[in-house]
Order: sequence, then structure tokens, then C-alpha cells
Amino acid sequence: MLAELGHFSLVLALLMAILLAIYPLWGAQRGNAALMATARPLALGTFLFTAFSYFCLSWAFFENDFSVAYVAHNSNTLLPWYYRLTAVWGGHEGSFLLWVLIFSVWTVAVALFSRSIPQEILSRVLGVLGLVGVGFYLYMLLASNPFERLLPFFPVDGRDLNPLLQDFGMIIHPPLLYMGYVGFSVVFAFAIAALIAGRLDSTWARWSRPWTLAAWVFLTLGIALGSWWAYKELGWGGWWFWDPVENASFMPWLVGTALLHSLAVTEKRKVFKSWTVLLAISAFCLSLLGTFLVRSGILVSVHSFASDPTRGLFILALLMLVIGGSLLLYALRAPQLRSIGRYQLLSREMMLIGNNILLSAATLVVLLGTLLPLVHKELGLGSISIGAPFFDQMFVYLVVPFVFLLAMGPLSRWKQQSLSALRSQVLQALLISIGAALLLSLGTDPFSYMATLGLLLSLLIVVTTVQEIRQRLAGDGEVLVQLKKLTPSHWGMVLGHLGFAVMIIGIAMVTSFSIERDVRMSPGDSIDLAGYTFRLDGVKPLQGPNYTGHVAIMDIYQNGEKYSHVEAEKRFYTVQRSVMTEAAIDVGVTRDLYVALGEQLNNGAWALRVYVKPFIRWIWAGALLMAIGGCLSLSDKRYRLKKRAHDPVSATSERVQEAC
Amino acid sequence: MKKLGLFLLPLLLFLLVSVFLLQGLFSDPTARQSSLLNRPVPEFSLADVMDDSVRYGPEVFAGEVTLLNVWGTWCVTCAYELPFLTGLREQGVRIVGLYYEQDLDPDFGAKSVSQIRQDIHKTLGQWGNPYAFNIFDQQRSLSLDLGVSGAPETFLIDAEGKIRLHHIGDVNERVWQEKFLPVYEQVSDNVAALKESGE
Amino acid sequence: MRWYAGLLLILSLSPSLQAVQEVYEFDKPAQREVFQRLSENLRCPKCQNQNIADSNALVSQDMKRKVYELIKKGYSEQQVIDYMKQRYGDFVYYQPPLNPLTLMLWMGPVLFMGLVLVVLIRRRKTQEKGFDKAMLAKAEKWLEDDK
Repeated sequence: MLAELGHFSLVLALLMAILLAIYPLWGAQRGNAALMATARPLALGTFLFTAFSYFCLSWAFFENDFSVAYVAHNSNTLLPWYYRLTAVWGGHEGSFLLWVLIFSVWTVAVALFSRSIPQEILSRVLGVLGLVGVGFYLYMLLASNPFERLLPFFPVDGRDLNPLLQDFGMIIHPPLLYMGYVGFSVVFAFAIAALIAGRLDSTWARWSRPWTLAAWVFLTLGIALGSWWAYKELGWGGWWFWDPVENASFMPWLVGTALLHSLAVTEKRKVFKSWTVLLAISAFCLSLLGTFLVRSGILVSVHSFASDPTRGLFILALLMLVIGGSLLLYALRAPQLRSIGRYQLLSREMMLIGNNILLSAATLVVLLGTLLPLVHKELGLGSISIGAPFFDQMFVYLVVPFVFLLAMGPLSRWKQQSLSALRSQVLQALLISIGAALLLSLGTDPFSYMATLGLLLSLLIVVTTVQEIRQRLAGDGEVLVQLKKLTPSHWGMVLGHLGFAVMIIGIAMVTSFSIERDVRMSPGDSIDLAGYTFRLDGVKPLQGPNYTGHVAIMDIYQNGEKYSHVEAEKRFYTVQRSVMTEAAIDVGVTRDLYVALGEQLNNGAWALRVYVKPFIRWIWAGALLMAIGGCLSLSDKRYRLKKRAHDPVSATSERVQEAC
Repeated sequence: MKKLGLFLLPLLLFLLVSVFLLQGLFSDPTARQSSLLNRPVPEFSLADVMDDSVRYGPEVFAGEVTLLNVWGTWCVTCAYELPFLTGLREQGVRIVGLYYEQDLDPDFGAKSVSQIRQDIHKTLGQWGNPYAFNIFDQQRSLSLDLGVSGAPETFLIDAEGKIRLHHIGDVNERVWQEKFLPVYEQVSDNVAALKESGE
Repeated sequence: MRWYAGLLLILSLSPSLQAVQEVYEFDKPAQREVFQRLSENLRCPKCQNQNIADSNALVSQDMKRKVYELIKKGYSEQQVIDYMKQRYGDFVYYQPPLNPLTLMLWMGPVLFMGLVLVVLIRRRKTQEKGFDKAMLAKAEKWLEDDK
């Protein structure tokens, strides 16, 4: 019964979304306040009905209601209750329900937290969100209904959740990732609303900034968590594989990062408007494209869900409408945008746009690398693979100029920067970083150019960040007092950049100095690697709630003393009949020791993989720092807008635009 | 107007991409063209799976159009296609098996050769025997040379011993009609023509 | 300095004597490096999207063993790649081959950056012409007020 209620509730949510797509937009066009006032309650209604629908599906999972087809396919009575709840997004239909739930959460958040935004604009924004929502609710109800029943014959037990998803990382990874993906819909709606209204004064940039930041923080955390999960769970010690699904989340992140910076320029200096709008549209469009690529199964990927061409067609049609429509609107309206600020070639504006270009080029690299194999094959040229060698090479080329611009940007002034001042600062920073990087690298064996380059780039960011803070403190007064004057959003930038520096170190080290051994070991055997002795004490059978398997017990010694104890598991999930590894990891700041259990060999020995991964934690620590930086910026008072009775700036600058 | 062109660029690029996405929806992402097409079967010298003393080389494909079917008793899909292949044999198609054993791994070595022979007897007795004979690819070396990625896979080899088709997955009525038959008829005609001109 | 000490500790101590048997044993560390790089960059033809190092599929095991044999025989990295491509096609290697279409992969981003830069510089120039001085001064003042 509850499943039917959930289904009905989803239909009501669709109706609400349809009304949300009509009334407020119409009201805003006509200047009808009563119609515009429906936007908030309708947004709330969409959310409540979606949430109830989501609750119903969760309940069906919790209660093991296998008469619901989706539950029967993705759950099992042996599954622990917490995985039963997360199994809701373990398959196609449910993950879409999570998608629309999060979408309605963002919509209602806009409705609640934008009291300072003029009613007309808010109505348009919510209306656009409603429009996008209609498409996805329709898709769920017509092509991908999670509440379908298996009646009258339903199984006694379910087919179980994909074992890959039975992990703590997977409990929070998809919701975080979706919060990020879908979060860009808000910025998208702001941009589209402004384009519809034909008014892109820079206030929209100010309103968009906190939403962009929030979505970006979620996406950063989501991707980092996904990478950490893959490292831990897939058993080959990798943290990024350039798989189409990873790329699909990486592209919106790259564009989102560009957008964050570009919005800052547009808000403060009122330039690059058409560029910023394009980024705002692209961030969400790439999120949608990512969804399509994952769901349609047109790309071969480890993560893709089962494919179904009708569903793929439906999503592609939706994509054509949303992306095609918004890009068309952009093409029609953007040429009218004029930027009024002036800036010299050497200015912070140029540094920021430079990095925007590099980030967009990086997005293009990922997009081409993801889609070209498909194009190549469809043109009858045969199958090709594009993976790590290509992407790694391109990203090394891109990151060097990127870091230089990133280092110089904060040091430069808006409008115009004197060359000599910047030159001396940058030279100083460069000398320090080169010296330090070489010094650090000389201690390594073997010497690695890539690691040295990574260290150099990372240090350059750190040194210029220090220089920049000192520059800010150049005034009189005590240092602490001065430090307090710096705004949270400034600290956010500092942390974001430092986080990137930390991440570069992690990537450079782990790619250059990882050690890996494939070994056969019998109980009692040991292997020496990088100063550690790994000793296999024994392999014991393992019995879990819905799996059986083996666990290898290992002790790690250093200088003859026991240093750590780890257990590597190999699980066989009985219902899904698949094998999963749970790597044994001794976590450390400067290195991880990582052991994965392989097959049992015929003489009683076991195949094991032993890795030493230097500085790998720094990659995720860097991402975490970036996310904290984002949160700090978000906490800045300037975004908690007081309602301004009249905003002379935007009003007047609009008049200038119209006059031009 | 010149300006508009620039702003239209993102839309045009997106439309171009969606054409390929649409096309991609209707093609199998795992289908691949073999790189050995129109090349002779690589050199090999392998024993018969039932009799060590009988050895085969590429010359077994000379003079007759042959289907080379990669299979193993452990492979469920292979058993599934056996009845269909047996039907083909009854229609006069020559089918040679390339026996691909999963459990004969140098590291694990679970199965003995006599066990394998027993399994083969049992499986072929149950589902039908389409094979003229079976080549035993004990180290899976010929399979690697042929670009085999698993079982079942089927090659169509012409009378000159050249590979004309490589199919990954099982052969069923639909696959045979759509994929194999056109090529099979073409190469068979060639053989017939050759024979006639020879006489 | 602690992290630096840790760095030295890890990196200066090269792997010492093996007490156990490696699955693939090499006489020279350089060969092992080539082997590891190859098995990371060769794609498993059976799997969804995995390299042969990470895949447990039978064909990956066979390919890994073949790569090992070839390296032991003295094949260079490129020769092994060619050997595999001959059998499994370009698909088997994660670096795409260079042809008119794949050239896009490298040229696309470069062209894009060039285009944006040209547009940016040209727009900056036309903008300067488009405004009169008084208006620019006014705009500047608004910007200052806005901070």
C-alpha cells in the first residue's frame, strides 16, 4: 500500500512541478504578484511530496517488501538494515529518486533562503527549476518507476545489493555527489532566469556565488570520497582511473571551479559576463551529460548501471531540451551583454580569466577523452581506448601554467598591476620554491623529475600565498589584529589554494614513488619493502551476514619491532555471486601500507599484493582543505544578504547597459 | 551576425555531440572489430583435445570454409549455443572447436586432462557435438594470438585459411542470419567458383 | 621537518632482499618498472573498463603472463605494445593512436584556448573604443562604491 502512496505522491510532486513551471514564470512576465507568490509554496509542495515518496521507497526496503520489483532487485533479507536504507540508491530507478529528492531540496532551499531577492527574479528562478524538474519527474513516472510491483508472483528473497556498494564510503558518496551535481541547477536557474528577463546585471553574480560555492563544496567532497572508496575497495591501490563515470563528475567540478572564480570577477568588476553565464549553464549541463553517460550505458565503464535504450532515449531527449534550449537562449541573449569595467593585460582580471581558460581547456580534454572513443567507433574507425597515459600527459601540461597564474592572481591588483612589483615577488617565490624543491628531491631515490616538478609547483603556491597575506598585512598595527581583519572569504581562498598545493604533493609523490609487489606467500612468509617487513601470520575463513570469505592476518615490522597489525579480506557475496576485496591499510601521513588478498594457489600459498603508497592521504586531505575553504567563504557575511531597499548600483549599471 | 555565430558555437558543438550520443545508444559498446581480419590464422601446433598424438597446424583450415569455435565445458553460454551449432553441422557447415580451459591455469592447475576429457564427453553427449575435432589450446597461446578475450567466440575462416569474421559472444539464429550467413555465402561461392575453374 | 624525515625514510630505502617468491620475478628493476607500467596501461579486452593489472579475468592473467615472457625475452616496451595491438587492436592500449580524428584530442584544447584568447583581446579593444571617457569614469565610480 505504501508503495502505491509513494507512487501517487510522486505524481503529485510532478503536478506541483508543472504548476511551478507555469505560474511563477507567467506571473513574472505579466508582473502579477499573486501568481509570483505561488512560487514558494509550490516549491515546498514539490519537496514534501518527493520526500514522502522517497520515504515510502525506503520503508519498502526496510520492511523487505519484495513485491516491489526495485526492492527485490536491489536488496535481500540478509542485508544489514543500514545497507537496506542506502540500497534505495543502489540501482537505476532509486538513484533517480534520490536525484529528484535532492533536486527538490535545492529548490526549496532557494525558496527559503532567498528572501532578499526581488520576488520577480525569485519567481523566475524557481520557475526554471520547476521546468527542469518536470522533465525528470516525467522520466521517473513514465520510464523508470521505482514503485512497480511484482504481482501476483513475487520472490521470497531479493537479489541483494551490488556488493561494491556495501561499504561506508558508498553510504555517503552518492548523496554528496548528487548534492554537488544537482546543486549547479540553482546557478543554472539563476543564469537562465536572468537571460529570460534579459537582465544580467551583476547582482545575479552575487546571488549565484553562495549557491555555486555550496554545490562546489559538495561535489569536491563527493569526488574525493569516491576516490577514497575506490582506493579502499577495488583492491588495486589506485585512486583515480579516468573512467568515464569519474570523468563525468570531474567535468562539472572543473567548470564549477572556473565558475567560482569567474563569478567573483563578474560581481566585483562587472566584466566577462557572457563568459560567466556560459560557465553557469555548462556546469549544470555537464552534470546532466554525466548522468546520461552513466545511465544510458553507451560508454563502457566499471560503474555504469544496466543499460536500456528507451531510457537512454528519454534522457537524451530531456538533455536536448534542457541543454539545447538553454544554449539557444544563451546564443540569442548573450550578444547583448556588455561589460563596463576596464582592465589592463596585466591585472587580476586577466590572471583569473587565464585560469578560467585553462580550466575550461582541461574540461575539454576530459570531454574529448571521454567521448572520442564513441565517435571514433561510430565513424567506423574501430575501437580505441583513452586512459591514464593521455590524460596524465595533458594534465601535466595544463597544470604548469595554471599554477603560475594561480600564484600570481592573488598577488595582482584589479584593473592594473605594475609589472616590476609582481616580477620581483614572483622571482623571489620562484627562487625559494626551486631551491626547496631541489633540496627535498635530492633526498629521494631514485630522483624523479615529475616529483620535483610537483614539489616546485606546490611550494610556489604556498610561498605566494604567504606573500599575499603579508602584502595584506603591510599596514600598521599588530599582526594578530590585522589577521583578524581578513574576511572569511579571503581565508577561504587561502585554504582552497593551499588545499590544491597539498593535493599536488600527494599526486606527484604517489605517482612517482609508489612501490608495488605481487607475491605468493604461505603463512610464516615475510616480504621486505621500503624498510617494512610484512609477515603473513595466516589466512582464516570469514563469515559475514551475507558473505563468506577469507581474511589474511598480517603483522608489519619495522627495524625488527612490531609496528602494525592489518587484516586483508576477500569476500564472496553469496547472493550476487561476486568477489570483493577489502584491502588492509595501515594509514600514515607520509605513506600508506596497503595489502590486498588475492587467490589461493594450489600449494596452500596465497597471492597477495603489497603496496607502499607515499603521501596518498595528501590527495584527499587537499580536497578536504579545499572544501573547508569553500565552507569558510560561504560563511562570509556578505552572502547573508540583508534586504536592500534599493540597490543603486545594479539599477544604474543596468541603465548604462541599456544606454550602450 | 558575426557575433551571434560565436555565441552559437556551444549550441552547435552540443548538437554535434548529441548526434553521436544518439547513434551510440543503438550500438553495442562492447562490440569490437578484430584486428586479425583478412589475415591468415597464426602459426600453431597443438594436440587434439582427446588424443595427444594427433597434432594440428594452420593447414587444417586449407581448402574448406570453417567455423572455429572457442569454447569450454565450464562456460555456460557455450553449452547454450551447442545445440544451434550442432544444427549447423547437420546442414553441412564445418565447425572446429578450439578448446579453451579456464581451470588449467599454470598458477592454479585445478583440473587434470583426463577430467577435462570426461567433462567434454558429458557436455557434448548432453547438448550435441558440432565439432569435426577439437584443438586443445592448453596454454591458451593460440587464443591469445587470435585476440580471443573469453568464451564463447567464433571465427569464420575461408578456404585459404584467412580469418573473415570474429564474433564475441554466442552464435544463435539471429547472429547467424545477420552476421555470419552473408560472409559465409560469399566465401562459399568463392570456393565453388575456384573448384569449377579448377575442373 | 617530520614529514621530510618520513619522505627520506621511505624513498631512500630501496626494496631489500625478498623472503618470498614474487609472482613475476625480474633480474633488473628497470624490467619490473616496464612490466608494471605496461600492465597498468594495457586494457583488459573482456572487462568493462579495467587494465590487466587490476583485472582478475582469465584473459588478463594470460596477457600479463605474455607481457612478462616478452619482457624477459628482451622486448622493448613499444614492441610489447605492438605485439598486443596486433592481436587485440588499438583498443588494448590506453594511449590512443594518432590519426586525423584523434589529433583533435590534442589540438582541440589548444585551438579552444587560442580562440578564447583572440576573442578576449579583440573585445577588450573594441570596448575601449565603445565608451566615452565620462561614462567610463562614472562606471568606475559605481564599481568603487560597490566594494
